[in-house]
Amino acid sequence: MSDVILSGRGLTKRFGGLVAVREVDIDVPRGEIFGLIGPNGAGKSTLFRLVAGIMAPSAGTVMFDGHPLTKKSPAAICVDGVVATHQIVRPFRTMSVLDNVTIGAFFGRRPQPKGREHARAIATEVLERCGIADRAQKPARELNLAGQKRLEIARALATDPKVILLDEVLAGLNPTETDRTLDLIRSIRAGGTTIVMVEHNLRAVRGLCSHLMVLVEGRKVAEGLPDAVLADPTVIAAYLGTSVHA
Amino acid sequence: MSYGLALIYGVLKVINLANAGFLMLGAYVTWWMWSTWHVEPLLAPLVIVPLFFGVGFLIEKFLVRRVLGQEPIVSLLLLFGLWLVLQNLAYTLFTGDTRSIETPFIDSSVHLGPIQIAWPRIYVFVAGVLALVALQTLLTRTQLGRAIRAVAQDRDAAKITGIDVDRVMGIAFGLGIALTGFAGSLLSLLFSFNPDFGRTLLLKSFCIIVLGGLDSFVGVAFGALALALAEAFGVRYMAASLQNLISFVVLVVVLVAFPKGIAGMIRSLRRA
Amino acid sequence: MRKPIVFAAILFAAIAFPFVAPGAEYAIDVVFLILLYGTMSAGWNIVGGFAGQVSFGHAAFLGIGAYTTGILAQHSVPLPVAFLVSGSLAAIFSLLIGIPCFRLTGPYFSIATIGIGEATRLIALNWNGLTGGASGITLSVTLPIVTQYFLALGLCAVVVLATIWIQRSRFGFALAAVRADPDAAETLGVNTTIAKTQALFVSAFILGCAGSIYALHYLFISPDSVFGFSTAIALVIMPIIGGLGTVTGPLIGAVIYTAIREQLEANFQNLDLLAFGLLLMAIVLYEPKGVLGAYQRFANRKKRVASTPAAAPR
Repeated sequence: MSDVILSGRGLTKRFGGLVAVREVDIDVPRGEIFGLIGPNGAGKSTLFRLVAGIMAPSAGTVMFDGHPLTKKSPAAICVDGVVATHQIVRPFRTMSVLDNVTIGAFFGRRPQPKGREHARAIATEVLERCGIADRAQKPARELNLAGQKRLEIARALATDPKVILLDEVLAGLNPTETDRTLDLIRSIRAGGTTIVMVEHNLRAVRGLCSHLMVLVEGRKVAEGLPDAVLADPTVIAAYLGTSVHA
Repeated sequence: MSYGLALIYGVLKVINLANAGFLMLGAYVTWWMWSTWHVEPLLAPLVIVPLFFGVGFLIEKFLVRRVLGQEPIVSLLLLFGLWLVLQNLAYTLFTGDTRSIETPFIDSSVHLGPIQIAWPRIYVFVAGVLALVALQTLLTRTQLGRAIRAVAQDRDAAKITGIDVDRVMGIAFGLGIALTGFAGSLLSLLFSFNPDFGRTLLLKSFCIIVLGGLDSFVGVAFGALALALAEAFGVRYMAASLQNLISFVVLVVVLVAFPKGIAGMIRSLRRA
Repeated sequence: MRKPIVFAAILFAAIAFPFVAPGAEYAIDVVFLILLYGTMSAGWNIVGGFAGQVSFGHAAFLGIGAYTTGILAQHSVPLPVAFLVSGSLAAIFSLLIGIPCFRLTGPYFSIATIGIGEATRLIALNWNGLTGGASGITLSVTLPIVTQYFLALGLCAVVVLATIWIQRSRFGFALAAVRADPDAAETLGVNTTIAKTQALFVSAFILGCAGSIYALHYLFISPDSVFGFSTAIALVIMPIIGGLGTVTGPLIGAVIYTAIREQLEANFQNLDLLAFGLLLMAIVLYEPKGVLGAYQRFANRKKRVASTPAAAPR
């Protein structure tokens, strides 16, 4: 792996007696779409939060572009260029869609925008990229789920990230909405941003990601090119084993 | 009173500032029945507990429920308003004069070896412990108690399993208010009071709850003990008038140092 | 753009008022009180409204400002100096309590502020050497009511301009994000702790200055008057009546509050707080955006009726 933008070493997270993530090493190559998959309760979302700096690991370190992220505040991490979306959408409900994105533009970027109008302009541009510019003036709570998920992505994009982490942005979308979101993700990558995504939809992941990692019961069980990983017997076993209960 | 607060918070996730008002009312109802009808103050809880339960149930139904889905601060303000109403209603009805209850029993005391203990203190202590045991039994042994605890843990999941969540929340709120009224009635035997009676105690019981963790009942008892000790020791080193300050200082220090309360801290230590 | 004109007109009317109403001491006094309470209310609103952190402890800042002026005046410190020192001390104190208390969120923060307010009152009550304890401080300086009036007007205008600026600035966006969802704000690069601390700092400075004016007006301060619970309540109630997180709401709230209090306090003791409790409950239940919200809804309805049905829905 020639150029790693985001990496974790020995990441472990314990919740009381439960070990959600156990000594996982992760290396995200620059400019790629990195998929993180696994059955329910495998610790995907926990690992995601550790890597995004939202949650502090019980052990291990996260490095971004050669600098440690562990112990920095989420706000500082965002300004550095690592931003995450929330699995359960969390828009600023009473604010307009535009204002939601403006906050990302105002606070997450370096250099800072020169003023309110500048931040607004950046936000409008991002809304157009994400295809929700027509709803810019609506209060965020009036968007449907697909719209709110897009807004999550738009807010994150407005912070001008080097790495964007997407937590199940496809969950709950119908096929048309899914396709549009996949296009958006491809265009984000084309813009030079590295993407890490946690996903349940294996078909989408196979077509989209350039690199996959599989987590089962908090451990890494497979990693590599999507086709190879998804053909791995341990991965198939893990999925079949749990999908019966799911 | 702390238990009333903890119960309401645990189940409804609502912080009830109006509790100070109900505590004060508990004391006043006891006093009023004693002075007008000569009802023995020790028996007042027999009236107060069901009465306050009913009032609490209705308040939950008609006021609190309407703001439950909103930000926590909304219900906080609503109950703050209710407290203002109760407090100043009491000023209007009972005037601001300080009241106290005096019966032969209240003035009596018992000698236990070298120490002299007032009977009412013993009575209040025993009644408090009994109430605690009764509450604990209710919560752990009965169907209703299990429902209350289920709602406290996860309202939606409780609804799915067929619990009438609205009714349970009403009952829990009623119980909380009833306990508070009971506490007020007991305290009226020990202290003199005025309509502002509940305020300092409200802060103290917040302090106790925060010490113990907002939804742990054993923690609350533990918190009460810790605060009592802190005050007792504090008084040795500073003026008695600063006694109340201690609980606020403890409150702020604990809120800041252990946001999950001491019980929460111990729990997380045990797990780690 | 009618708003600046309206503001200018009101400001002009307020400046002209003492000159057209000479000798009307009572009227000037009432408007002065409205201005003072409006300032306090708008100051509280920066933290409670814009940042959404409801504080029951703001009387502490008012009290610190009032006592600072009282004590400095006793030592013949020039009043302009005392005024600024009052605001500054309150602001510095806000850092002391803000840094620990803002580790708490929402209702926990509110509870902690009740403790802060009560603790400062008890300290003022017991630190006899400095504060005169329960007997308070009597000031021997006298400022003409017109001077007080312009002092309050000036401070009030500064606060209104500051809130307008906040509403439009990057800082205002940060506070709005904090109010809406602190965790989401944090992941988008908003340093929520710094934003809240800055808001409290500004707010405390304003209340400290207001406290200074308070001391110069009443010439007597005691722990129960400035640090008292009813002061703390007034600070919370006024902006809520008027409309949280708005520029004019807290001022409207101050007008209503002063009017009700002047009426009730004179005639029925304690009924004022009873009325405010009921009002608070009614607003929280039926009109969370306060009088201003009710007005806007009313205005919108009128507008909708006036426009043609085809153009109405957007």
